Amino acid sequence: MKTKLTVFIIILLLWGSGYIQAQGVEVSGFARTYEGVLVDNGNFGIVQQTLNLNFEKKGNKVAFKANPMLYMYNSDSLDLRMREIYMDMYFKNFDLRLGKQQVVWGKADGVFITDIVSPLNLSEFLLADFDEIRTGVISAKLDYYIGNGTIEAIWIPQFTPTIRPASNSIWYVQPDFPAPAKFDWSKDKVTPSLENSEAFLKYSTITSNVDFSVMAGYTWDDNPTMHVQKIFGRDTSTMPPKPYLKSLIITPQHHRLAVGGGSFSTEIKGLIFRGEAAYYHGKYFQTKDPKAIDAIVQKDYLNYVIGLDFSVGEVKMSTQFIQKYILDYDSQLIDDEAQNMATFLLRYDMMRETLHLQLFSYIGLNKGDALIRPKITYDYEDGFSILLGSNIFVGDKEGMFGQYYNNSMVYCKIKYSF
Amino acid sequence: MKTVTIRLIVMAVFLTAAIGVKAQLTGREIIKKVYDRPTGNDQTSILTMTLTNSSGQTRIRKIKQFTKDFGKVEKKIMFFMSPADVRNTSFMNWSYDNDNADDQWIYLPALKKVKRISSDSKSDYFMGSDFTYDDLGDRKLDADVHKLLREETLNGNPCYVVESVSKDKDYMYSKTITWIRKDSFVGVKKEFYDEDGELLKILEIKKVANISGIWVIEHSLMKNVQRNHSTDISLSDVKINSGVNASMFTERMMMRGL
Repeated sequence: MKTKLTVFIIILLLWGSGYIQAQGVEVSGFARTYEGVLVDNGNFGIVQQTLNLNFEKKGNKVAFKANPMLYMYNSDSLDLRMREIYMDMYFKNFDLRLGKQQVVWGKADGVFITDIVSPLNLSEFLLADFDEIRTGVISAKLDYYIGNGTIEAIWIPQFTPTIRPASNSIWYVQPDFPAPAKFDWSKDKVTPSLENSEAFLKYSTITSNVDFSVMAGYTWDDNPTMHVQKIFGRDTSTMPPKPYLKSLIITPQHHRLAVGGGSFSTEIKGLIFRGEAAYYHGKYFQTKDPKAIDAIVQKDYLNYVIGLDFSVGEVKMSTQFIQKYILDYDSQLIDDEAQNMATFLLRYDMMRETLHLQLFSYIGLNKGDALIRPKITYDYEDGFSILLGSNIFVGDKEGMFGQYYNNSMVYCKIKYSF
Repeated sequence: MKTVTIRLIVMAVFLTAAIGVKAQLTGREIIKKVYDRPTGNDQTSILTMTLTNSSGQTRIRKIKQFTKDFGKVEKKIMFFMSPADVRNTSFMNWSYDNDNADDQWIYLPALKKVKRISSDSKSDYFMGSDFTYDDLGDRKLDADVHKLLREETLNGNPCYVVESVSKDKDYMYSKTITWIRKDSFVGVKKEFYDEDGELLKILEIKKVANISGIWVIEHSLMKNVQRNHSTDISLSDVKINSGVNASMFTERMMMRGL
């Protein structure tokens, strides 16, 4: 039923696009086929067809955009997402954007420090294109302009959590529990209400010397905290009977976070230096402390990145160091006190910018694992590209990347933009 | 009488020579006049680039651009209109009168953010064309040593022919030679020589128009003679001094687009 409805909506969109073009609405987008084969067993890890449609109309005072995306997985599963749909109102010194929108903040690439307004879609881990990895949020955004600076105020009435891989996905990681576990999902949802809304504020500016921003947010943790209730039994086979961990009741629950941070970017002798940092207050971490209620403890943490963009000849390079540092650390915590990561990007365009070679890599420094992503893209025609790439997971199997050692993949994406 | 006549002739010759020497511009002075040629307080146009490869296949890029002179800084913003995969990308450049390096930003709609980029890569080719960023932008006058080679007529127009050699030994061109019209100080032809001194590219100006009293190059062709490909650039809808608002050159407009 859902599939039929989705197909109907798409047919309506396509049929209507001719009419709305006649009304001055610009229609653009892309069609893409994406197939990936797992190196481990030769199975298709991904078979995905995508249609992305952008409907836009811009005037001097108002504008609108609607961006439905249709994903077809394998040959029968259709998924329609309204990635964005919003209206703009332009005034002399400020703009107002209302509706479902993606908001991108910060100076970091591929990591999310102050970029926390739009939650992530991690259903394909971190492999989706960066414009598809974020989900839109229904919100009101006010941009007030002062010279080259902008004050951005965002109000989000309804909380949207991070989208996690489905339990049948190759990206789903089965948690390892010391006893049989039962999930209680009764507290997983955040009821939409004024009290439960989120608010963000940012000031940013670009100048001849440096670009910088400062931000604050009163938000929800996009990832639920796992409240663990331990049920003990008594082993009567021993004398005296000994208590043992019989089962676990796990209650996922989102908690409030207060976040403050900033970012900068500047050029010094042809090198671009970037930095971004945020202080998170209110985060709950898992602990092994038997006295801790629900096996969690609240700790503040600092998350920051420093990055450098540079060129060697015609090769563009970029590297970043990222650290998540838990303050007032307690050795019983499951997480390390400092979690260190690095990224590395190398890009070379050749044949008059029709052939692009790229290597991007996440490197987990604590566990010594990595995700290495080489790819080669050929622009066969304007707007038509063929991409061959690979996702290689290496290193410690307990690491964030190494845990997917079975999911190393070669893939092909063919995309037609219109 | 004869003595007086001879003296007058000698004086006339010296005077003529003196005037001639004074009137003879140096290479630097000629290039300075090219750089100082009025361009208006602001300019708007649509730039169409046609890239032709050695097989004769073409690719077209279309950009709407705005430029405004703020005195000590000239600001430029470009909005990419086609092809489809780069539509809504924008690029902004602030160029300073002093020795400060340019500031540059790019907005990629897929990333939804404005990124500061290095202006150090001026030898990079612009959108796969035969023009480097340096070819398209204003080069600093004293980045090169300029020498007047000769004067000659090109396409019926008397021209100065000036050789410019970069002071930076690592610069991508060993020298350039420019033909500059004497009447308007508009460069009408330029040859670019590679690091080995071999001819690399030839730029020919096909059409110069006087719009609102300002000379504007409306059509030019750059040929890479070593690789046998070319880029044709034409400007349309050119407007000079139309009162482009200063707010056009901001992060707000980069993200909003056209």
